[in-house]
Amino acid sequence: MGRVDSLDNDIIIIGAGITGLSCARRLRQAGITALVLEKARGVGGRCATRRVEGQPVDHGVIFLHGSDPDFLAALDAVENASPLQGWPARLSGSGTPCQPEAFHKYERRLAFAEGVSAFPKHLAVDLTIQLNTRVTSLVSGASTFELQTEGGTTFEARTVVVTAPIEQTRELVKALPNNSTELQSVRLLLDMISTEPCLTLLAGYPLDVPEPPWDVCYPEDSTAFLLMSHDSNKRAQKRFHTLVYQCRPLWSRERLEQDPDTWSRDILDEAGRLLGTWATEPLWTQAHRWRFGRVESASALTSPVLLEFGQNQRLGLAGEAFAPNGGAEAAWLSGRRIAERILGER
Amino acid sequence: MSVTISRLEDLIVRDRDHDCEGVGPKKVCVKVMGVADLPTRFGHFRIVAFWNNRDVKEHVAIIKGDILGAENVPTRLHSECLTGDVIGSLRCDCRDQLEASLERINSLDRGLVLYLRQEGRGIGLINKIRAYQLQDLGLDTVEANIALGFRDDERDYAIAAHMIGSLTVRSIQLMTNNPRKVQQLTEYGVKVSSRLPHVIPPNSHNRFYLETKRNRSGHWIDFSGKPHLMEQSDPVVVEGMKDN
Repeated sequence: MGRVDSLDNDIIIIGAGITGLSCARRLRQAGITALVLEKARGVGGRCATRRVEGQPVDHGVIFLHGSDPDFLAALDAVENASPLQGWPARLSGSGTPCQPEAFHKYERRLAFAEGVSAFPKHLAVDLTIQLNTRVTSLVSGASTFELQTEGGTTFEARTVVVTAPIEQTRELVKALPNNSTELQSVRLLLDMISTEPCLTLLAGYPLDVPEPPWDVCYPEDSTAFLLMSHDSNKRAQKRFHTLVYQCRPLWSRERLEQDPDTWSRDILDEAGRLLGTWATEPLWTQAHRWRFGRVESASALTSPVLLEFGQNQRLGLAGEAFAPNGGAEAAWLSGRRIAERILGER
Repeated sequence: MSVTISRLEDLIVRDRDHDCEGVGPKKVCVKVMGVADLPTRFGHFRIVAFWNNRDVKEHVAIIKGDILGAENVPTRLHSECLTGDVIGSLRCDCRDQLEASLERINSLDRGLVLYLRQEGRGIGLINKIRAYQLQDLGLDTVEANIALGFRDDERDYAIAAHMIGSLTVRSIQLMTNNPRKVQQLTEYGVKVSSRLPHVIPPNSHNRFYLETKRNRSGHWIDFSGKPHLMEQSDPVVVEGMKDN
């Protein structure tokens, strides 16, 4: 048993993805410092950028889009990064995009030359975030929630906001002993939502390969690929042509527990079929398994959940699945909304 | 383009090049795309179809009499409810409310019903059916409906405001029991000269309202014990109903 951290602010947010950051920022505007616990070693969740020999590669969200005026203002507020307005401009293929509304006439799209993680990094400025901290259990105590972490630390807070993927949120909520009607309803609702996996391969090619004439391709005749992203098109200086291959939910599900070397090979074979043999021989590859890739947008609820427990304890559930249409915009709106609910503004 | 508007059809010509700044935070803009006669079992109306720049939902206005440039037009905003309006569901009173509003404008010289395609209080059909699913298990309450991820009434009346403006209606008498609706429309620049209570006639399905006093807003349980959602964000008032 480790030490007990008690915070005067009394709000803990689980997850430093777009939802958690948006929630913490909105609370901070109201003068409240929440503690954000993040299992990974960086912020942003699926709004993620890797660096390969210094060159950024977006391997989660490949671009940001939205139409909500406040969300767009938040994107415009990102400092120290070069926005690429309108990216992706060149589309190919008649396959269905992950979010077809991304290409609606009134939707704005953009990426950042430094990588999409510029957005979460900007949101995280001045927030209190503890990285490498995975919450393993949530217990409703006499007057506070107790959170156990993998490292053995216990945290206490009267208000907890869970912004983890639905599957993990479900586990935390399942373990709560409270059997109120509301909690039963919440469990039922969480069972109606699911997150689709997405196997992803990043591939770096020499600069002299035939350059695909698109920013993003949604192939219509591939059972494996959801999309191919021409990532190096986003970079001012490039050492490699980088392509990011993201796979369909079913294809990903079937290979989720396999050795990444196996499915990486399958992905390169498919790339070769679609692009030419050069695509089967990259200089390097990196595999990423998004176990919880994205919420199937039709299954999303429409607003975050705030439940009352015992005396003055509140449990908030927010995330991409708790706002219409899914995606980073939904996550951001959901985080802000749960903060406003906590503040009693709505 | 300067077009003299003497008939509803002239609105189509006027809107050919229409490109305004939009109404509300999402800058909603609508255009009149089609106008036709609409004989109904409630009376003979005209129907005006709108396009909007935000989504693929095609909203319509149902019109009685001459409303072009008119003041104090009795107006009802009705939100689409597939289960109630079309299928005749008794889990809500949408059909009663829609029929009452059409009958009412038919009895007047002029009137307007805006049929807004915002299903399930704006939460969509899938989530509305999920709310019913919770109710079937006895899990729904007013609070739960809000807390459980279904938006409270958050419909955006910016579209309705623009539609009223497009029809060149100068001011309306809003048929509603919900003062918040008046406030929202006013914020979007609609001149609401007065509020008309929306009273629905008694029938076998709303007997509950007559027998007991009104339940909390948003949710009611009928005399057979079945929980209902109130889809129209209006407290229901049935003719002959006792006040709280």
